[in-house]
Amino acid sequence: MNEPVRIQEADFSQDEEITALKAGSRRMGGIATFLGCARDFSEGRDVREISFEAYGSMALAEMKKLRTEAIAKFGLLDARIVHRVATVVAGDNIVFIAAGAEHRAAAFDGCRWLIDELKQRVPIWKKEITPQGESWVTPHP
Amino acid sequence: MIRVLFFGPVADRVQAREMQFEYTPGLTLHDITARVGMQHPGALSIVSFIAVNQNQVHDKQLALHDNDEIALMAKFSGG
Repeated sequence: MNEPVRIQEADFSQDEEITALKAGSRRMGGIATFLGCARDFSEGRDVREISFEAYGSMALAEMKKLRTEAIAKFGLLDARIVHRVATVVAGDNIVFIAAGAEHRAAAFDGCRWLIDELKQRVPIWKKEITPQGESWVTPHP
Repeated sequence: MIRVLFFGPVADRVQAREMQFEYTPGLTLHDITARVGMQHPGALSIVSFIAVNQNQVHDKQLALHDNDEIALMAKFSGG
């Protein structure tokens, strides 16, 4: 099975990630997931493609730290984080997070915390390609 | 040798992915950022995070070592 934290160009399977997460523990009673996907509209403009770039080694190390921290902070049984670094079009998958816990509250909280922290701490940048040109995205709160 | 890496919007402004500077004893992070800033002030203006050997740092007086890897990074926008 794939590593629980990955940066990859290729698309991922949510089913495979959840199956891998569940395989780790029979005590898991709740799994919360977040799927980030590409939109065709942003800041009032049509978006043709989104291109991602990462400081790969640091980004992966930081994502591994996030997983470890989330497991400890929320008492998760396991968590998985997959982020694509590729050029994607509307509807394509970008990022997937799954947090598994004994009960739903910890799973929801852990999942939300992971995506919020990822946006703040992981060195990945996205560029939107529009009919008017290209521009790097300013982070959203 | 000190390697300075650029990504995303910073790389676009520098028009390069990497610069290299000769290491000399006593060299600080500030010395390097100042040199980059002299050549590419527009790039330095959007740098929000600095990492040395893949660890984020805040102290520009940090003493560098030979073969250190510095990354000058704009705000992240992954996810």
